Amino acid sequence: MNWNKFFTAFIAAFIFLFIFGFLWYGTLMRGAHEEVQALFRTKPDFPWLILGHVVMAFFFAMLCVRFVPAGGIGASAALGILVGLVYAGAHLISFAVEPLTTKILWGWIAGSVIQFAIAGALVGGIYKPRPPMTS
Amino acid sequence: MKRFILAFIAAYVFLFFWGWLLNGVVLKDVYAETPNLWRSQSEMMSLFHWIIVGQALIVFAFVMIYASGFAGGGVAAGIRLGILLEIAAIGMRMGFYAVQPFPGKLIVYGSISGLIEMIIVGAIVGAIYKPTSERTP
Repeated sequence: MNWNKFFTAFIAAFIFLFIFGFLWYGTLMRGAHEEVQALFRTKPDFPWLILGHVVMAFFFAMLCVRFVPAGGIGASAALGILVGLVYAGAHLISFAVEPLTTKILWGWIAGSVIQFAIAGALVGGIYKPRPPMTS
Repeated sequence: MKRFILAFIAAYVFLFFWGWLLNGVVLKDVYAETPNLWRSQSEMMSLFHWIIVGQALIVFAFVMIYASGFAGGGVAAGIRLGILLEIAAIGMRMGFYAVQPFPGKLIVYGSISGLIEMIIVGAIVGAIYKPTSERTP
């Protein structure tokens, strides 16, 4: 595995996931979240938010590298869509058990799929396997 | 395709019963500590179809990922995929904990059980699904 490229891809994925999350969930969906204030903290617990994104970005990048060892934007973006669908499934279950609105549900589902498709494309675009050594 | 469907059904049946056992029985008292965060029992039952669809989507996406990038590695590859996906999901759970007032122990129990769940799902899918070239005529 090409660890230098992997590390760069992981950092890029982390920065993207965090900024996208802030824009999509924290800004665009702010009004929808405020409709059910009791379900949310008044202020996010930032250390956990950052640590969560680090863990998510690291293992998502690792998954991309295992899934598409040669790198590549298209295949990694496809993986990102599938990972987004895994999270979409989790959001559907959350909707059934938490008093979330349908606006929040569809916002979270669309957010997950778009977020991981782009994150996958980023990782696939940056990661390249180590070239074979010549003797 | 037949193997894909078989793997999907087997993993789905496991996920459904695991989810019921864990959330409906084992963690029932932990959920009861924060009733304001959850729908009433009757409301949950009226939305139960979303739980079924959500679990089906999780399993479908898992088998798709396995079939298109990990197939051929058998049970070990399935378990590896389960671990990678679940640890990434633990990151997502931390993110939810940061913005929603869930009890910390619910996140811890959910993450441990999620890891066990995905390891078993991975093993089931890896044991059942075989790429076409690997099958004997």
